[in-house]
Amino acid sequence: MPWSERRRRTNHTVVVAILLLVLLASAPSAEEKQLSIYGPRVSYSLPVSEYNGQDYVALLEVLEPFGNVSAGGDGNGWKLHFNNVEAEFQQGGNLSKIAGQKFGLPSPFVLENNRGLVPLHALPAILALMLATKAEYHEAARRLFLGGAATRFTTDLREGGLSVKFSAPVDPLISTEPGKLKMTFTRDPVVSNAYILRLENPLISSVAFSENNGRAELAVQGKVPLLAQFAAGGKTIDIVPAPSQAQSAPPAAAPETTPVAVAVPPPPTLQSLTAKPPFVVMLDAGHGGDDRGALLSETLEEKGVTLAFARRLRSELQSHGISAVMSRDADVTVPVEQRAAMADAARVAVFVSLHAASQGRGVRVYTAMINSATNMPGSFVPWDTAQAGHVLTRRALADIVKAEFGKHEIPSTELSAPLKPLNNVAAAAIAIEVAPSGADVGSVNAGVYQQRIAAAIAEAIVVSRSRVEAER
Amino acid sequence: MTRALIISTGLLLAAVVAMGVYLHFLRRNERERAQNVPDSRPISAPVAGPASRVTFYLAYDDPGVVRAQEASIALPADPAQRGREILHALLGEYVKRPSSHELPAGADVKDVFMMSGNTAVVDTTPAFAEGHRSGVFVETLTVASLVKTLTANLPGVTQVKILVDGKERETLAGHADLECFYDVATVEQLLQQLQ
Repeated sequence: MPWSERRRRTNHTVVVAILLLVLLASAPSAEEKQLSIYGPRVSYSLPVSEYNGQDYVALLEVLEPFGNVSAGGDGNGWKLHFNNVEAEFQQGGNLSKIAGQKFGLPSPFVLENNRGLVPLHALPAILALMLATKAEYHEAARRLFLGGAATRFTTDLREGGLSVKFSAPVDPLISTEPGKLKMTFTRDPVVSNAYILRLENPLISSVAFSENNGRAELAVQGKVPLLAQFAAGGKTIDIVPAPSQAQSAPPAAAPETTPVAVAVPPPPTLQSLTAKPPFVVMLDAGHGGDDRGALLSETLEEKGVTLAFARRLRSELQSHGISAVMSRDADVTVPVEQRAAMADAARVAVFVSLHAASQGRGVRVYTAMINSATNMPGSFVPWDTAQAGHVLTRRALADIVKAEFGKHEIPSTELSAPLKPLNNVAAAAIAIEVAPSGADVGSVNAGVYQQRIAAAIAEAIVVSRSRVEAER
Repeated sequence: MTRALIISTGLLLAAVVAMGVYLHFLRRNERERAQNVPDSRPISAPVAGPASRVTFYLAYDDPGVVRAQEASIALPADPAQRGREILHALLGEYVKRPSSHELPAGADVKDVFMMSGNTAVVDTTPAFAEGHRSGVFVETLTVASLVKTLTANLPGVTQVKILVDGKERETLAGHADLECFYDVATVEQLLQQLQ
């Protein structure tokens, strides 16, 4: 082959390779595999990794929300301590020892950057041994239910729409697309057999339940724009026609192909802005992503502790029938201003910023360092002093939280602090800084300790709810 | 042009590019290394003047309080320079070991500026913020100690702004707001809680 011809071919190959790389880089990445775990008190999701075509999950991260867990490697060996239970694994080995019993893994154990990964197939059996509880695994959907955790529901088709009643309060992500309203349950252990129910109804044509990638989905197909309304403290969701449709019922012969753009919640109107919004608590897990927060010990970062604690507190609040949303529910960077903006846009009733420290003992409760005198009358609230109008409710809330800590025998201090973004939140805002319970800094991440603190805060919010509602 | 010449030229060009990239990384590493060396040089010349009584508001991590403590130091007449010397002496208490509230080596005040009579702007060294321990409580103690010490010794100052190396910074070490102006009245309320 002549030299010029070979060079031309080489050039073509290089150009094609570059184009392929550009196409690969710009192509949308596939959805990350998730595992959702539902316990009686906590629910959370974890990423699933793939090795040799098998799904794996990090065992330490799975156990963290349930108690005090630590792990360490020694050559090819990896030991994990969870409360009083010990487990031993070998890199690349199928044999392990859990709670004194020999345990065979269906695929080899993987040790990656000192993180022990176990095959997902084996996880239910491993957890059953380590937690001594019943584990039910929906393998196709990667949803694991522990200790009988399950929220069941019934649907009731009525003249005004569809009523979905749950056995416990739920907090789904509601989204819409033309002609469809979807409720996605990631944190709630909603269970049912998969089904599609076709209906002869002027408003709703079908209801379908499905599970996939760590979440459950209830999809309602509508003939008119639909709206979801929460009732009974989050235990009932009524699917009703959106306001414009409710005022004038659709003609019977309305063409089904009419595009329906549904917004849930509907776009804010002057009426909706002046009406009192529902009682919702925003939990702000401090730091995250690029911002690790304080390094509490050699291996413990503040951002991880605050996220685990926020999840516990959310479950605790939901168990009291209080809706809670989170400013972040993963290890992602969220600027502090954006956290306050989210709270203000959602018109939350209470904002709780969560932090952790290695210094001191017990819990510190903070309110904003701001003068009530800086509050300005009028409809618009200045960003820098948005908290000024909530001086009484935030102090009352902080007092009640401190009192509840006293009842739970958790040492606590109440202070004001120049902590961002408390000043920018137009709601009763407090911050909680969890310090170790004793000499061991790792106790800030202990499940039992965090659970006690979360229970006290949740009870304080329940007690102060009427006070907060009265001043909104 | 022969094939051998083309290959040789290509190899030489590749070597030039590789050397250039290597040189770029060497220079960048050297620049970063130079920036990370803590600046422990004295910030201001020793002050010769009559000794004056000042009150430091010293932070104590354990048991988490701020306490007033009298001291006698030589101070210049100019309020801005007085402020700088007072804070220099205060931070000196925190930099030495052992300390009731440890700050990193090199933590100091570069300058204090008086703005429109009642506002003081404190410019601190990079080490003051970069090496500060992270936590709501420890950062709050530092801010409260610094603001109260300055305002207690410079009558008429009601607002304090803290800069780091001449620039505004979002937080001290991840928590305490450094974008705001600290109001003496609100810091006073905090100090009552820290007694």
